[in-house]
Amino acid sequence: MRLEIRGLSFSYESTPILKNVAFSVGQGEFLGVMGPNGSGKTTLLRCMCKVLEPRVGTVLIDGRDLRRFTRDEIAKTVGVVPQIPTVDAAFTVFEIVLMGRASHIGRFGAESARDLEVVEEALKMTDTLHLADRTFDELSGGERQRVIIARALAQEPRVLLLDEPTVHLDIKYQLELLELIERLNKQIGIVIVAVFHDLNLASQHCDSIILLHNGRIEAIGAPERVLTPESIRRIYGVDVVVKRHPVTNALHVAPYLSKKSDRLKSRATVHLVCGGGSGSVLMNLLLERGMTVTAGVLNVLDTDYETARSLGLSVVGEIPFSMITDESFAANLALIEQSNILVLTDFPIGPGNLRNLQAVEEALKKSIPVFVIESTPDQQRDFTGGIALEYMARLKKKAIVVRSTKECLQAIIDLQEQACSLKPKELNTSSPKNTENIEASELVNE
Amino acid sequence: MIGEETIVSLFERKRHRWRLTIAALSIALTLAIFFMTLVGSMGPIGPSGGERIPLQAALDILFGESENWPENFRAIIMDIRLPRILLGVLVGCSLAVSGAVMQGVFKNPMADPYIIGLSAGAAVGASASTFLPLKQDIGMYALPLMAFIGATSTVFLVYQIAKSRGRTRVETLLLSGIAVGSFLAAVTSFLLYLSGQQFRFLFFWLLGGLWMASWKVVWIVFPVISIGTVLLQLFARDLNAMLLGEEQATHLGIDVKKVEKILLALTSLVAGTAVAFSGIIGFVGLIIPHMMRIRVGPNHTLLLPASTLAGGLFLASVDTVARTIIAPTEIPVGVLTALCGAPFFAYLLRKSRRVWL
Repeated sequence: MRLEIRGLSFSYESTPILKNVAFSVGQGEFLGVMGPNGSGKTTLLRCMCKVLEPRVGTVLIDGRDLRRFTRDEIAKTVGVVPQIPTVDAAFTVFEIVLMGRASHIGRFGAESARDLEVVEEALKMTDTLHLADRTFDELSGGERQRVIIARALAQEPRVLLLDEPTVHLDIKYQLELLELIERLNKQIGIVIVAVFHDLNLASQHCDSIILLHNGRIEAIGAPERVLTPESIRRIYGVDVVVKRHPVTNALHVAPYLSKKSDRLKSRATVHLVCGGGSGSVLMNLLLERGMTVTAGVLNVLDTDYETARSLGLSVVGEIPFSMITDESFAANLALIEQSNILVLTDFPIGPGNLRNLQAVEEALKKSIPVFVIESTPDQQRDFTGGIALEYMARLKKKAIVVRSTKECLQAIIDLQEQACSLKPKELNTSSPKNTENIEASELVNE
Repeated sequence: MIGEETIVSLFERKRHRWRLTIAALSIALTLAIFFMTLVGSMGPIGPSGGERIPLQAALDILFGESENWPENFRAIIMDIRLPRILLGVLVGCSLAVSGAVMQGVFKNPMADPYIIGLSAGAAVGASASTFLPLKQDIGMYALPLMAFIGATSTVFLVYQIAKSRGRTRVETLLLSGIAVGSFLAAVTSFLLYLSGQQFRFLFFWLLGGLWMASWKVVWIVFPVISIGTVLLQLFARDLNAMLLGEEQATHLGIDVKKVEKILLALTSLVAGTAVAFSGIIGFVGLIIPHMMRIRVGPNHTLLLPASTLAGGLFLASVDTVARTIIAPTEIPVGVLTALCGAPFFAYLLRKSRRVWL
């Protein structure tokens, strides 16, 4: 069994939807089709079951052009589970699944024992046998979706096309449905081609993924090769962190909104001394406002380290579970010297990262403004037998203490606005439009 | 949890129900035909000015032993009443099955056999026929022929108008049916205005009635309607799938556009033949499929034959009332179907909360 698409292009009226799409799927493969809204995913599926007939390019099933298939033959080869299937009439589940046999029964035939067997098997596989005599419109979304899959299975297809099968399902049904699809794929060997919106579900279950963008294939291959932060940013315009799921080891794609606001454009550099995830949120918030963010020293594998890396920040890393070496300390100081502002978050302090506090002290000596976030009391974070507390007490005398990340961000913005608003009185010759940029750049150069 | 054999038993139960429904309707129809031949002016049942056919005479005549009774008794029952009842059955069957099919094709509970201009076209054809210079004996068939031509060519015209870039959407078909229909209604009004002496005759035809009935007419109508109706039943499974929507039906292996075209052609043939001889009888094609849907569900494998039989039963029965209730005059049956059909339909609407397809 091989499904091959060659040079497929499709246009509605004069709007091109698919442009030179080519790929192939073989026996037992599970292919995910992904891409933003309007990228041509559904159109691609429609071309693959001859609901639409492309003028350019071919769809081949085992080497035979789909155009040469009759409707009956297609129905016996390709099962389709459409997006949000609705049924206006009061058909029972049995009647609907039996419709899947239409192409086998034929116009003059009658339902045979074998037809009933296949229907029963399809109902069993989708766990809908107990619903057989119920009316379709009284079922829940998850049940309906399973019934429609049963109908497609009753066609005894070798390829199953699913258009966003998990949409409108709650998380439990989503997982159950994908389990079912995976079972059909692995146990019966049905080729699966499914459109997904959920990057995580897709990466977890698909053997390979096609990323469509404006009707073209942007990337194709194994999920970890296709779903990279770069490709997702390019195609969806969204920043994501791609990690491994802690339990399943499947790819885990977590998006974050990057609101690049022009109004708050600032060229300040903020250095974070953080750890254990205490700085991750702030990193993103600062980046959103156009600031440059650096961080250190962080142990590799630390949440903040991973965040910093996936955000593309300059960060000083240290081997996991080891003390900060002189080298790292120096590198960190170098970053601190380049920054305009330093933020010390409230991470647990032990002997390993104690030297980070020393680095903060150095920053104060160089009169870099320091913000200390204190949402948990120092005592609870001290694992150095009091040495850290002494440091903190000294630091807090000169630093600005804030209660939360949000407060810290506001304080940083205020500080910069102050710096900006002082200058225009002196520089009233410059046009107000450029003032901010000038101030910002001066702030950096201070 | 349903056990191993239940899909088979579920299917058997449905099949049993199918047989039961069809058998019940067939028996009811046969009994009704038999009973209705006894009803009418001169009886045995019904109004009588003076002379009345004895029940024994009617039964003898029906069972082919008419020698002992006056010839006019035989003529009334066998040559006047029976063909009229049979024409009623045939017309009722064709309107109801066409209505059920149209509701399925258009996925619209308001659809009936006339929805895409069939009745409007027939009316224009019928009105135009009175202006043809024809002799009386051919003239008798000129109206049905012209009505039939008007009906089928209108459906074809509507289909062509709705076709754009090789595709026909059912919604467009519906709308172009309305557009053409209202245009033709105006044409009919104008022709009626000009018709002069023929006005009353045409007006009667427009109201719908079975007074053209004769054995000749039955023999013309019977093959067309029976073959057409049987062919329509073959598309029951396609109609089921098409109710799910064009795309899903395509997934299930149905060439929707082709099937639509065939069904439009078959229904306009079947309903066009009925309309040609009986005029525009309303409501049968609309309410019988709905009544049956409430009783037997949306599955066309049962809905189509059930509607066919119920339509025949209904129209023949209503016509029996129409020709006796104000004897010696008769009410146009189209008026009566609407008079009794509409309130009953309203009652059904109130009573059931079903999905309408």
